[in-house]
Amino acid sequence: MKTASALNTYLKETGGWVAAQLEACTRCGICAEACHFYQALGNPEYAPVWKLEPLRRAYEQRFTLAGKVKLALGMEKRLTDSDLEHWSQIVYEACTVCDKCAFVCPMGIEIGPLIHKVRTGLAAAGLVPGDLAEATDKQKTIGSPLGVTDEMWRERIDWITDEWEATIPVDKAGAETLMVFTSIELMKFPDNLALIAKILNKAGENWTVSSRGREVVNFGFFEADEELTKLFMHRVFQAAEELGVKRLVISECGHAYEAFRWTAPNIMKVPEGLEIIHITELIHQYWKTGRIKIKEGAFDGETITFHDSCKIQRLGGLIKQPREILQVLAPTSFKEMTPNKEQSMCCGGGGGVISIKEADSNRYKVFEMKLEQLQDIGAQAVCMVCSNCRLQFVDSLAHFNSAVKVHSLAELVARALI
Amino acid sequence: MDWTEILRFSRGPLFHFSLVIFIAGMTYRLVRIIFLGWEKDRVKSQGSKLSGVIISYLKGLIILPFIPWVRRTFKNNALTFIAGGLFHLSLFLVLIFGEAHILVWQSLFGVSWAPMPNPIVDWVAAAGIVSLIILLINRLTHPVLRLLTRLPAWINWTMVFLPFVTGYIMYHHLWFPYEVIFSLHLIFVCLLLIWIPFSRMSHFLFYFFSRTIHGARAGKRAVTP
Repeated sequence: MKTASALNTYLKETGGWVAAQLEACTRCGICAEACHFYQALGNPEYAPVWKLEPLRRAYEQRFTLAGKVKLALGMEKRLTDSDLEHWSQIVYEACTVCDKCAFVCPMGIEIGPLIHKVRTGLAAAGLVPGDLAEATDKQKTIGSPLGVTDEMWRERIDWITDEWEATIPVDKAGAETLMVFTSIELMKFPDNLALIAKILNKAGENWTVSSRGREVVNFGFFEADEELTKLFMHRVFQAAEELGVKRLVISECGHAYEAFRWTAPNIMKVPEGLEIIHITELIHQYWKTGRIKIKEGAFDGETITFHDSCKIQRLGGLIKQPREILQVLAPTSFKEMTPNKEQSMCCGGGGGVISIKEADSNRYKVFEMKLEQLQDIGAQAVCMVCSNCRLQFVDSLAHFNSAVKVHSLAELVARALI
Repeated sequence: MDWTEILRFSRGPLFHFSLVIFIAGMTYRLVRIIFLGWEKDRVKSQGSKLSGVIISYLKGLIILPFIPWVRRTFKNNALTFIAGGLFHLSLFLVLIFGEAHILVWQSLFGVSWAPMPNPIVDWVAAAGIVSLIILLINRLTHPVLRLLTRLPAWINWTMVFLPFVTGYIMYHHLWFPYEVIFSLHLIFVCLLLIWIPFSRMSHFLFYFFSRTIHGARAGKRAVTP
């Protein structure tokens, strides 16, 4: 039964785009060496190409002559419920959909988006790991994966307003810019919310947050359930339309940026003329155009590095913006980790992995590699533009008793405002 | 039937039959993929798709250790890249610039070109054979490759290895009477041609899809593929 739902989804999702890439794979195994889960844990099943196995089998057995022959000869088996349960662990607990594999594949196969499709089938089969499914359900019913209710949200915004003396306009009709934050920021890094508000106010932005579209995180996208992905974005788009804003700014969250900026127009209706950008772009714009001024060398002294988030840098292209700002903030003590930019290694917490308790040991093991990269350059602080990465860094650095400090870019900019 | 007759059969009817299967099979696969449907991309670009595609092909063709953006990829997979790259290079050079092969091209298309000196082609072919053996050993020992490799992949290897090695033996006039080894070489080539549309060796065609898709996607997002 589960298998039937998954198979139907795979067949529905299989267009030329999927098929051409599955056909191109030569099974050379090079992608394995790009995968931080394979590198850290050594399990051959974590090779990115192996994560595509359910999709490949469904496609070949249904669409190709060779696949049908192999099936008839017993050289290959039909997918079963237990196969899918097995792959659920592999693609949700040992993959952050960071897509680094696509950048090393000699054939250029977009393995990340294909793994996303594997997840879509598993979600249809109801085989999402419990913790992830639970958080998604909370987002569906309560409006936030962390279970923040409308009332809690208002209280929290009020508290942040008082605590940091930040002005945060709520549901302001006629605002130009709608700023949408993550529950992670709201609950775990409230300072980030306050400091972003400070930057927007300093730049004289006509902005607002919305009580209806208050969650930018998209757990439907982690699960790869398309209906939920759309529902969660729809809430924000609806708010944007009601408030009549021209611009939607995604807070420091990678998956949300991927969903809103690069996915939404292809799967749903986006309000006409609505510009969708990431907070990093906005801050960079403000600084470039002189709407905000930052103190040069404000954080010079201790060695600081930048962690590239998969969805914002490797896949979002916002590579030079944060670096230009960091060069100003710490002209002499800013240092690059290796590898970096498009080739950087994922923190290990993305793609929903950090919300799954069973994946904790994987996550820490992967982070050991990140820690080594930090230690190699003697980093005392690390800066990033994704709250999900930040959560992984804060949690894992504590786990390994490391003293490296974790900052968001918005936080550094806000503290250096003149 | 003696070997002269087998030779006549394999370089005539068998070869042409195999070519037809090869071309018809690959055309079928190409058309089928195209007609599976392609969704329109409505997302606004941030960079240039075209430049992404160009870089994507450059990267696909010249994965060399000194190019900064492929250095790491290369380092982590040196063996696969060196042996795999050498094999492909050898395949193309021997096939396109080998004196005997140019005669085949001429008979098929009526055009010919200057061959590479025989001793060079000989060394290149030897390098190709050695690469294939190294790749086989790697496939037999690497845990990921062992997991991924099923019967068809072993057939692939054999199907490529046989024409290579028989061609080499023929050139050096080793062990077999000329008609025998020539016939064997042709028969293995024909088997290979017939096998390609049914196997992953068809990647030579789908390569152009995946590299274009990857390049366009990266270019669109203003990142280096």
